[in-house]
Amino acid sequence: MKELEKTKRISIAAVFSILLVIIALLSYKKPKNLYTITTKTALEMLLDKNIAVNVDILNDTTIVPIDIRSQYDYEKGYIQNAIHMEAAEVLSNENIEILEKIKANNKMAVLYGNNPEGVIAPYAVLIQMGYNNLKILKVENSYHQNQLITKNVDLEKSIIDIPKFIKGSAKNANIKPKSNTHKAPKKVITIKKSKKNKPEGGC
Amino acid sequence: MINRNLVKALRYRYVLLAVGLILLAGGLVLLPKQEKHKGITSAELLSNAISPERYMSTDEIAHKIVNQDPSILLIDVRDSLNYQKYSLPNALNIPLPKLLDDNSMTFLNQDQYEVVFFSNDNFDADKAWIISNRLGFKNIHVLKGGLNSWFKTIINPTMPEENMPANAFEQYRFRKAASMYFGVVYPESVIQQSTEQKKVPKKVITVKKKKKSTPEGGC
Repeated sequence: MKELEKTKRISIAAVFSILLVIIALLSYKKPKNLYTITTKTALEMLLDKNIAVNVDILNDTTIVPIDIRSQYDYEKGYIQNAIHMEAAEVLSNENIEILEKIKANNKMAVLYGNNPEGVIAPYAVLIQMGYNNLKILKVENSYHQNQLITKNVDLEKSIIDIPKFIKGSAKNANIKPKSNTHKAPKKVITIKKSKKNKPEGGC
Repeated sequence: MINRNLVKALRYRYVLLAVGLILLAGGLVLLPKQEKHKGITSAELLSNAISPERYMSTDEIAHKIVNQDPSILLIDVRDSLNYQKYSLPNALNIPLPKLLDDNSMTFLNQDQYEVVFFSNDNFDADKAWIISNRLGFKNIHVLKGGLNSWFKTIINPTMPEENMPANAFEQYRFRKAASMYFGVVYPESVIQQSTEQKKVPKKVITVKKKKKSTPEGGC
């Protein structure tokens, strides 16, 4: 009789634990907007020089331009057929739906903002979520008489040879140029010499 | 009759329970792989990446370099060729493709130094920052405008116009002094220095010879 009660308790405990696991599984919500690639793959993708494209790409009508600037800027003027998707809101349900649709239709989307530096953040987040059909438009947008002016810009291009400029400045002043590396001064530790005691007394 | 069937079914109860548990444990295999989801969430990453908090101005960096701030760690993410041509004083070179190498991790995954990424503008430095931020590294910053802005503001600062506020002139004075620290020579400063040098009279320091003390005591 005692043994039967013991086995009953074990069975009840096992059933409860299974029920607990089932409830946990049913209540588990899959987190939204998960990354689909590792940081290593993301870095490799970001290193690709073809991620940034010129404005000429917009001649292709299948390309979907996406404006990530503020609502105010977008309303002032935008590239033809551009969809507005403010940078901070690119992960909203509505925008994710749009991006999914573009991807499902095998279309490419180009993100643009006031400058390419402003686009890199939302772009890098989206490619890590698996939207590999995106590019960055290498343009700078400004307004002239309420008209949007879009011009191509170069990325990561050095504007001047700085060492040459520094040398040139020294040449103009007729002195030798100083190197730009400043070594930390050596610490000098002074050691006090112990005074010799005067000889006292003695013969 | 019923009791016999029940007893027969109950005979396999432990086997059934064990199978149930094994099946549920098998469900763990279906869970998404952690490797791909490593780091902070995409929503967090986006909100951090959009915030301009990560940027440090060229003036701030110049100030820290001039004062030999030991808490700053400058990292040049350009290739080694460009790094050798010119870089900021005491900057380390971690080219962007080597950002996730084990050697680089020792500099990035720490919270003692304020790491500042820089490149020619801030396009590549931002890429490095986004990857580092996803991995949860702390105290990572980007030099706003990169070396191009460094040149325009620190190495070759433009003089403010007369109608500009006083702080613009103050900023210009700091930038000019900083540019001199970084090796730029202004003709007027050389002339001033040479005239100043002429005016200063030489100080003559007379050193008194110590008299030898006569030995005391003795016979």
